[in-house]
Amino acid sequence: MSSVAAIRTEGLGKTYLSGFLRRPFVGLSDLTLSVPEGITFGFVGPNGAGKTTTIKMLMGLQAPTAGNAWLFGTPIADPASRAAVGFMPERPYFYEHLTAWEFLEFYARLSGVPSHERQGRITALLERVELARFRNVALRKFSKGMLQRAGIAQALVGDPRLVVLDEPMSGLDPLGRVLVRDLILDERKSGRTVFFSSHILSDVEQLSDRVAIVVGGRLREEGTIDALVGSAVLSVDLTFTGSAELAGAELLRADELGRTVRLPPAEVDAACRAILAAGGSIVAVHRNVRSLEQVLLTEVERARVVNEKQLGVLA
Amino acid sequence: MSRIWVIATNTFREAVRDRILNSILFFAVLLLGLSLALRELSIGDTDKVVRGVALGGVSMLAAIVALFLGVSLVYKEIERRTIYTLAAKPIARWQLLLGKYLGIWLTLAAEVALLFAFYVIIVSPQQGLPGVPVLVSALMLMVELSLLSAWAMLFSTFASPVTATAYSLCIYVIGHFADDLHLFGERAEPGPFKTTALALYRVLPNLESFNLRTEAVHGVAVPVSELCWSAAYGFGYTAAVLAVAMLVFTKRDFK
Repeated sequence: MSSVAAIRTEGLGKTYLSGFLRRPFVGLSDLTLSVPEGITFGFVGPNGAGKTTTIKMLMGLQAPTAGNAWLFGTPIADPASRAAVGFMPERPYFYEHLTAWEFLEFYARLSGVPSHERQGRITALLERVELARFRNVALRKFSKGMLQRAGIAQALVGDPRLVVLDEPMSGLDPLGRVLVRDLILDERKSGRTVFFSSHILSDVEQLSDRVAIVVGGRLREEGTIDALVGSAVLSVDLTFTGSAELAGAELLRADELGRTVRLPPAEVDAACRAILAAGGSIVAVHRNVRSLEQVLLTEVERARVVNEKQLGVLA
Repeated sequence: MSRIWVIATNTFREAVRDRILNSILFFAVLLLGLSLALRELSIGDTDKVVRGVALGGVSMLAAIVALFLGVSLVYKEIERRTIYTLAAKPIARWQLLLGKYLGIWLTLAAEVALLFAFYVIIVSPQQGLPGVPVLVSALMLMVELSLLSAWAMLFSTFASPVTATAYSLCIYVIGHFADDLHLFGERAEPGPFKTTALALYRVLPNLESFNLRTEAVHGVAVPVSELCWSAAYGFGYTAAVLAVAMLVFTKRDFK
């Protein structure tokens, strides 16, 4: 593993000029980030937060209007910075006239894969994304899920050190999501750096070593999942039978298993004693911790309040 | 260079699998066949009429294909977002555009070769094998198509296909009336019209420089020096247009 970050940005920003009057619109502002090699990095935020803008700048599709960025220490303005990078864009569209095999061969040749390695690598990848039996089928006949899998195979065909995936789970059915999730987990195990954006936060929590949250074109939080969500228990859900009445508990539901209530953690011991004393039994205990979703929602709310204050000052 | 070639061969494959392009080629072959019927309908030197219509038809349809490929292939990459994965490879934008252009050029060369092969097959039984002037006119047609497709590609780097087609057609039409434009400029009274006409004449290509169909129909040989000069003019102009296209494409953001 090298000490050079796979991705590094310093004050990266993008301002678009839109409309006839060329009004400025800030897509991303002052993003400073470092993604070490060998980790899986989740990039999350609501729609329009600046995730895709960041990825497009890193991939050389858009030029930054502020700041700098490097891939493995090489400035992104240099096409050589992407020599060890595989990329799958959001909602990928590929050459419909090509078969799955021709498609991967095209990208393998573009990635500089030697001819004697091409056949073996493409065969293995097609099997890995479960498209081996469709190798001679034109991409125009592929479903969305199949295209997404072909897109991931395309990103991996050059055996890159860094894989960048923009919304890889977007629009997939549950089976497709599991397959893509497993592929990312495999890449994580193999020590490849994976940088992916998503707004399916349960996947991000499960897959990422580190997470960055962007809202309104600005980086709000960055760190490990534990550091962001914390390990403190917020509340406990208790399912029990019997007639015990628990003061201060919030009733969530009552069904054939019993009643389920939500309690502050400090009151769980007393509640359990009361349930047993009343002749009932405890069926299930579930602890509620802070989720990434709550962190994101907090940041969205904070950004909204700041925005309103700024507008108030301007008014 | 190898990455440019990979893009060129993929572009060629994309073009030859395109149904619209194949339909145009089908009509070109049909037109060649129909030109034979003119022999029965014309008076005078009927062989020349057949040759004139056949070569004229081939040139016009080849120009349509050049415009179609030049306008659509780069635009399609952007519109269908295949450019995202392509431009994210370790390849400079100018190399990408050059690869696309080479692919278009290969397609046009194959198309011209195919159409002239059909010309030989269809016309030879009546008139015997065509002479060198016909071959020379085919080569000069290729120079014209190189230039025309470069213009179309330049327009497609910043405009929609409809607009790019309109601009390219303007270049095609004005390019074939360049000598008239020059004459108009020369004879006009001094003023804005004269200045504009002469400026346009100097900036826009003179596509008639590559039109050797009359010589081919009449079997007249063109001096080699004149051919070399026209080819150098055509390829030099093409390189300049491509350089501008590369500059525009390099600056472009893909949203």
